[in-house]
Amino acid sequence: MTIIDTKMKHGDASDGILGGRLSRIDGPAKITGTADYAMEHFPEGMAHAVIIDSTIASGRILAIDSAAAEAYPGVLLVLTPDNALPIKTATDWTGAPPPAVPYEPLARDITFSGQHIAAVIAGTFEQATAAAALVKVTYEETTPISSFDDPRSGEGYLIDMMTKEWGDAEAALATAPVRIEQEYRTPREYNVPIEPHGLIAHWEGDKLTLWEPSQWIDGMSRTYAEWFGIPFENVRMLSPYIGGGFGSKALPTRYGAVAAIAAKMLDRPVKLAITRPQTFTAFGGRPATRQTIALGATREGKLLSIRHRGANETSMDDVAVEPLGSVISIMYATPNFSSRQNIVPVNTVKPGALRAPGENPSAFGIECAIDELAYEVGIDPLDIRLLNYAEEDPSANKPWSTRRLREAYAAGAEAFGWAKRNPRVRSMREGKQLIGYGVAAGTYPVRRTPGEAMVRILSNGTIEVASSGIDMGQGTYTILAQTAAEAIGVPVETVVVKLGDSSLPRAPVAGGSQLANLMTGAVHKAAHAARDELIGLAINDPNSPFRDLQANTLTIEAGQILSPRDAGSSVSIAEVMRRTGRERIEALRNTLPEEHQNDKDHFRNFTTISTMKSPTEGDYSLHSWCVHFVEVRVDVDFGTVRVSRMVSALDSGRLYNPKLAESQWKGGIIMGIGQALLEEGIVDPRHGRVMNNNLGDYLIPTNADIPDLQVISVGIPDTHASVLGGKAVGELAIVGVAPAIANAVYHATGVRVRELPVTLEKLI
Amino acid sequence: MTNETILHLDVNGQTQTLTVEPRVTLLDALRDHLELTGTKKGCDQGQCGACTVHVDGERVLSCLTLAAQVEGRKITTIEGLSDAGGDLHPVQEAFLEHDAFQCGYCTPGQIMSAVACIREGHAGSDDEIREYMSGNLCRCGAYPHIVEAVREAAKVMS
Repeated sequence: MTIIDTKMKHGDASDGILGGRLSRIDGPAKITGTADYAMEHFPEGMAHAVIIDSTIASGRILAIDSAAAEAYPGVLLVLTPDNALPIKTATDWTGAPPPAVPYEPLARDITFSGQHIAAVIAGTFEQATAAAALVKVTYEETTPISSFDDPRSGEGYLIDMMTKEWGDAEAALATAPVRIEQEYRTPREYNVPIEPHGLIAHWEGDKLTLWEPSQWIDGMSRTYAEWFGIPFENVRMLSPYIGGGFGSKALPTRYGAVAAIAAKMLDRPVKLAITRPQTFTAFGGRPATRQTIALGATREGKLLSIRHRGANETSMDDVAVEPLGSVISIMYATPNFSSRQNIVPVNTVKPGALRAPGENPSAFGIECAIDELAYEVGIDPLDIRLLNYAEEDPSANKPWSTRRLREAYAAGAEAFGWAKRNPRVRSMREGKQLIGYGVAAGTYPVRRTPGEAMVRILSNGTIEVASSGIDMGQGTYTILAQTAAEAIGVPVETVVVKLGDSSLPRAPVAGGSQLANLMTGAVHKAAHAARDELIGLAINDPNSPFRDLQANTLTIEAGQILSPRDAGSSVSIAEVMRRTGRERIEALRNTLPEEHQNDKDHFRNFTTISTMKSPTEGDYSLHSWCVHFVEVRVDVDFGTVRVSRMVSALDSGRLYNPKLAESQWKGGIIMGIGQALLEEGIVDPRHGRVMNNNLGDYLIPTNADIPDLQVISVGIPDTHASVLGGKAVGELAIVGVAPAIANAVYHATGVRVRELPVTLEKLI
Repeated sequence: MTNETILHLDVNGQTQTLTVEPRVTLLDALRDHLELTGTKKGCDQGQCGACTVHVDGERVLSCLTLAAQVEGRKITTIEGLSDAGGDLHPVQEAFLEHDAFQCGYCTPGQIMSAVACIREGHAGSDDEIREYMSGNLCRCGAYPHIVEAVREAAKVMS
């Protein structure tokens, strides 16, 4: 059990309440090296597993010769499809019932390079690694379809549910006075958390303990339970700290099944760590995308029609949809609209979720296209955005709950100095550096799933908050301590928060930027229930100093219970607990609707995503908004691009802790700079391999790539979006960064790059 | 290859004796054999900096260093950075104050690098800090706050 307490120094007195800039309370553990991440446990007798991956992208395995590996010192088991303990297929994350077929985490038929085919388990990591190199695999290889640029991949197939249409986009385009049409492309991109994936699996009888970094303890635990046919309660998953996820640690993986199978077969704990190169194929990142966008407009730049056709890669045997119509369908008002999307199967691992899946590439398309339209009709890129401002959700035909995008444009432009921009391309220069200013907007929906939390008031006055929800750096520990402290009326230092353990009250996935809002809501509710019980105790208990008072007359401030009738007299929570002989007050609350307060719906809510509400369910359309203003400097001889200055204005509603929210925003912006200028999974067209599967070749931003970033909050509390007024934070800020940079590069150079990343060979 | 060797390592001022194969890296010796897990494994290829420790006061990548190479030299890890009284190092304090991390996984390496960066005299300007802290990757994107923290810690340390 990991307990985070808040006994630390901090700044001013406002720190403790929600909205204060409290330093993160899990910080001391992280800066001293005592935070215990998943792979840092040492159960007795632990063995080490190393996964072996296919070296071909398409074909089948003819034979696996494991004799040399089995003979290698220290080797305990070479696991192959032929000797692996059979397990069942589990319910998927949507809650769809599984087919009654075995689940085979090690493949015989190969559909992508890097597919797990065997594993070596040995006494030490070094032995397992060395023995894995001795396993000889014979394949029958067929020619892979390496990407959707391979003509044999075809056009893929239409995903009907992604189609959005109103008006008559074709007819309006045909008659529009101004018409532009271009294709925009993004490559495969990878999550690259600095903590590689992996787990330790430990069986004790039919109980399975898993130390595994997880964005969704309850969902993943359900899968493990179903794989092995054991009760959900028999799985204990611990993930108090996660070394980054960005969408990649939310779902169970094949290597997870392999480790648990090996541990069961060997009857000893097994640690399986994915190598850095394997993090490019053991799970998927963002798929490659392409979008063709046609805009029809008046000569003044007012949109008349948008036609959008998108496609993303998926794997040969599964469906991954990167919703490319998500931003283009709501950012601007247009009377005519048509968006359709295909997915194209290729020989790749199934793509996964990477920060703002859908919104991110969708914004790259429309935010570049609207910039092109601005130049086409000769108006300012900021003005064209205001001219086409969507006053309500044009797709759902509902009012926005809050949309502070106009305020964001104004605040960002002012802070950036947008007015100083010379509108002509290639007009701003310092020495050999061409300077460009670019702007682009972004948005991310507010997703909502009910949450659950336990709040306890202990006899010594300590407040305990518990949930299986997780903190991978978003600040969950800290904002939940602030929520409970404010709701009960205690100093934040007296709050202890426990997270990331399946034995605690349930939580849905930490994804879709929903966790902070739903968990603060649940903790708020549970804390108020605990507070009410404490007040009731103080009034009713014969041993309480307040026993003669009427209800609703007591207040709690700074951990002291106060009576308004007797000004100046106060008794601490601990004293009331002592006098009344109570060891604890406990309130377990969830935010499920009344009609779903039963075990089946409760389980379904936390172990599938089937109850997650869409941003347009209800009377309003709920979204966060942002705008990025970028200055780039492009070397006139070499075409190297550097972001030299950036101002972003963001509307995430109410910020529960601005210090931590700003960090998340900046993190998203920095990932966006990487996406714009550096990140690209390069696929070998002959062999279907991601060739740059390491951090020396798949480039993510370094410190030297990043200038000072200014972020401005323009949000106001939005209680349609969440109980306490927050909207989405974590995934918002990356959206719009790449198009803002591409637009700035166009302004600097006159070269329009429509395919990410914007690298020098595209500019010279 | 199962020949094991006995190593005596000076880690955080204490002599540690361990019996390991010669191919064990300093990183794995620290994490798996001495259970000093503050030093992180991010890539095991010398590309991310998460495994940064000090050897005789200089920053090295422990994943590219064999444990056997550093016998007789002074190894300092994040666990040994605070003074004996348990007070945080000024760099640690500054990281907390400036929120120079999120998930925390690259953080011990960033802090060990930052201490050395300041000691080397490479914290003279923000640009210099950025350059000399670029061997440590952070995917959460804490870079601007890392620069602030190093700048402020350098003032305290001088």
